[in-house]
Amino acid sequence: MNEEKTPLDRREFILAGGLVGAGIAVAAAVVVKDRSPSPPVDPTGEATTRQLDVLKQVKQTEHEDEHLRMQRELVRAMAKPVEQRRWIMVIDLRKCIGCHSCTIGCVAENKLPPGIVYRPVVTKEVGVYPNVRVQFLPRPCMHCENPSCVPVCPVRATWKRPDGIVAIDYDKCIGCRSCLNACPYGSRTIDFGRYYAEGAAVGAPSGDVRPLDGPRAPYEHVSSNEYAKNWKREGKGSPIGNARKCHLCAHRLEVGQLPMCVSTCIGRATYFGDSKDPKSLVVELTTKHNVQVLLEHWGNKPQCYYIV
Amino acid sequence: MIQASTLSGAAGAEMGSSEYSGCTKVLWVVWIVLLVAGLVGLWKLLTVGHLAGGYGSYVSWGLWIALYFMGVGIAGGAFVFAAAGYILGWRGFATRADLRTAIVLSLAAILPAFLVIWLDLGRMERLFTVFTSATFTSMIAFNAWMYNTFLVVAVVCWLLSFKSESVWLKPLLCLGAFLSILFPSQSGVFFEAVGTKDYWNSPLLSMLFLSSALAAGSGALLFVRTLVGPTDGKSSDASVNDQAIQTLRKFTVAALITYLAFEFAEISIEVWRPYTETRSVDFLIRGEYAWVFWGIQLFVGTLIPLFLYLFSPNRGAWAVASVLLVLGFVAARMGILVPGQVVGQIPGLQEAFQDARLVYSYHPTSMEYLIGALMIAVGMAVFFIGRRLTAALASESEQKA
Repeated sequence: MNEEKTPLDRREFILAGGLVGAGIAVAAAVVVKDRSPSPPVDPTGEATTRQLDVLKQVKQTEHEDEHLRMQRELVRAMAKPVEQRRWIMVIDLRKCIGCHSCTIGCVAENKLPPGIVYRPVVTKEVGVYPNVRVQFLPRPCMHCENPSCVPVCPVRATWKRPDGIVAIDYDKCIGCRSCLNACPYGSRTIDFGRYYAEGAAVGAPSGDVRPLDGPRAPYEHVSSNEYAKNWKREGKGSPIGNARKCHLCAHRLEVGQLPMCVSTCIGRATYFGDSKDPKSLVVELTTKHNVQVLLEHWGNKPQCYYIV
Repeated sequence: MIQASTLSGAAGAEMGSSEYSGCTKVLWVVWIVLLVAGLVGLWKLLTVGHLAGGYGSYVSWGLWIALYFMGVGIAGGAFVFAAAGYILGWRGFATRADLRTAIVLSLAAILPAFLVIWLDLGRMERLFTVFTSATFTSMIAFNAWMYNTFLVVAVVCWLLSFKSESVWLKPLLCLGAFLSILFPSQSGVFFEAVGTKDYWNSPLLSMLFLSSALAAGSGALLFVRTLVGPTDGKSSDASVNDQAIQTLRKFTVAALITYLAFEFAEISIEVWRPYTETRSVDFLIRGEYAWVFWGIQLFVGTLIPLFLYLFSPNRGAWAVASVLLVLGFVAARMGILVPGQVVGQIPGLQEAFQDARLVYSYHPTSMEYLIGALMIAVGMAVFFIGRRLTAALASESEQKA
């Protein structure tokens, strides 16, 4: 028999217990630490206020257009420190006509490539002829109070900003796609690095002006300004390979412009504003009307309200 | 220093058996085929990117994730068996050579798993931010740290096994065994923690992953022990090796049956609970990939292995059963991954913005299969190199002694 006698002696037993115990303690400590509330990573306070000149020359009237009112409220909100703003969206489903202007406006504003969509409009046919109607449901990112996409990110590349926007750091995201699975609304999509003109016929073989140049066509590489940064899709650089989603046009808010989907809504069905401003249109709408949120049972507390 | 001659002639103490030599040529051919196929897949991935994959934004995890969890499962299962056998002195598992064989197998399973999960990332160059900027609210980060801690512990155990006296070997084996039990079950939590998928939201997943890891780990160890023969390379050890294989056979069967019992319970809840959402289970048992569940997982990966383990007296048949078993568990993991993702929460979302990457369906592509082949080739290479290094270090330590 060449087998070794291998019982654990007392010293080995204590060492084993110590190692396993230490492992459990360290694991518990790091999980509890990361689960505990932590101060915001974004700057807060007076430094985050914006004094914008937008609409200063336009006189306020009593029954002002809703867009003008929302924009004035936006300017007012931007004058406050970021932690005193809380952006929400309200969508009046009774007014939505399913024109998809918001979807297209968003694609144009954020230079979204194929397969990336921040605000699709779901169409649903209800009933049987002759009692039939069509329902439309625009679905932006819900910017949830308890966003299930945030804690699953292994590298802190996505977080909830003090103003309520759930943001993604494209320079940090590793493209593991766990946030895509964690979002019950399917709000996140992954940038696979595709181009609209990929595989398309190339025009003239050379020359300064070429009608089409496959994925190298200039319009495919126009920078987007998401999160107030310059993102040029070239080569394999970010945001290619990253998770992407609606950010309430954070870059437009910085300069006093409403999110593109709000601006392009031809039926005035989409509203945007600061829920911490009691005089804001969005607060008025959510108080006056019967509002619902999507998939409430998941407990994410979505911040996009639907008037039904 | 390990002499080159020692390495090249390392088929000695820990390598040699006639059966092993008989299989060598076949294994080389298999390895070369897998490697070439894998390199083609890698080239495709590096040139075309993830566009060559079949996953999209709604079904975002595919075959590689299943293979990844299979790899870490085998690593954990093999290690826990090796550690328990060595510490408790089970016949056929009590020598350091037995221990090293299992640890090398464990490493050969987990390292290619890391490779495939790395290749799955959208931004591969940022892999290390999981270590530099981790948040442990994420199961990915927690698991990554746990797997890597296990990797370090396994390597240290392997190194300590060459020292004649080490008070740290068994305590570290205990830690490794603890991690080996923890991380397969935490692999289940990885899915359970994605609370927004009904199909994954079941505590039974942890048990499914743990029992499958134990079955696959002991099955893989059986395969290896059959292939390499007595770990000390002495004919007198043949009966001990036979007994180890018998033990592994029984344990594999027990773990496999346990897995089936858990899986039956899991599916039963969906099938018999009235007015419940069963689209995922419907997809699994009646969908377009139902043949994966019925054909590969249950028939090829469960019934045939069970038959061979229970009724065949031939060790070679048990080794074949082990290969089929692992294949079946890959199918089982696909049966957890894909049905959970093909069911959307918002009806009509797929039609709202039409694109090939925005669909609730998944079809693995040739590139994904080729990378799977690379994973197996890398695993074989790690095992081969690990065995050679083991033999060289063992010979050197014997000489010193």
